[in-house]
Amino acid sequence: MNARSTPIPEPQADWLDAFLSAEGVDDRAGYIGDDGFTARVMQELPAPVSVPAWRRPVVVALWLVAAVVIATMLPGTVLDVTREFVRLFAAIPFSLSTLGFGIVAVSIAMWTATAVALRRD
Amino acid sequence: MPATPSHDVPDAQLIARCIVADDRHAFAELVKRHQSSVRACLRKLTAGNHALADDLAQDTFVLAWRNLKSFRQEARFSTWLYRIATNCWLAQARKPREELLGERDADVGEDDADAVAPGFGEGADHAATATMKIDLERAMARLSDAERAAIVQCYHNDLSHEEAAYVLGWPVGTVKTHILRGKQKLKAALSAWAPATSTRTP
Repeated sequence: MNARSTPIPEPQADWLDAFLSAEGVDDRAGYIGDDGFTARVMQELPAPVSVPAWRRPVVVALWLVAAVVIATMLPGTVLDVTREFVRLFAAIPFSLSTLGFGIVAVSIAMWTATAVALRRD
Repeated sequence: MPATPSHDVPDAQLIARCIVADDRHAFAELVKRHQSSVRACLRKLTAGNHALADDLAQDTFVLAWRNLKSFRQEARFSTWLYRIATNCWLAQARKPREELLGERDADVGEDDADAVAPGFGEGADHAATATMKIDLERAMARLSDAERAAIVQCYHNDLSHEEAAYVLGWPVGTVKTHILRGKQKLKAALSAWAPATSTRTP
């Protein structure tokens, strides 16, 4: 956006060009005082979104309740899913480097999630 | 003359603070920095209606705050603000004409009085320049909205044709056409000030 194309000179309009340019320079040199303008703008901004402090514990509690309800209502399904998960992970041979990599990956994910949650709050 | 705000921290850094940390002090600093140029631009676009220009400038900054995340740094921040300001003005200009220009005559009258009354010891040149400025303001008010917008962006805001095209949302060729037409009308309206007349007074 910085490339400037010079207006095509018109011999008849040179004086007008010069005058308009000089006017522009004069206008830009003159600073309009703030006189409370910034304060009025800041008052007009939408209020900041404030999340109540109790929201996060309540959300966690609701998820726990939902998990308990599901486990109570469908005990067979929950047991099957759990068993399959254990079988799946038990079948994979764990080396020390894989374990370390997993811990680092989980830590990064947790930190990112925490940062995003704090930013939203 | 009022003091201009210092620019110790770059605009980009203040914008980042607004986006990441919802920092309203940073945005207030941005408003202080750019309010003068945005209000001056809108005063030109509204043909001297200062009250309307200030209302539109306020809307411009509120919209800028709401859309700050969409600012991609593809243009300067000031150019982006001009774009929002011009859109606000165009939206206003679509309203009935008499509403838009209702207060203009009174405002121009006040400006005239200020401009024509030179200080003690100032000569005839100053008065002639002031008179020419008034004539220019009146001639600008008679241009179409598109012609005035194009001339204000290129001469008053000192933007290139490409930047003016970005601000106005038009192709570069359209900007050039409106400038050409506007200048032809201005030349006709201000013909008395052309150098060919050899004197500076109409």
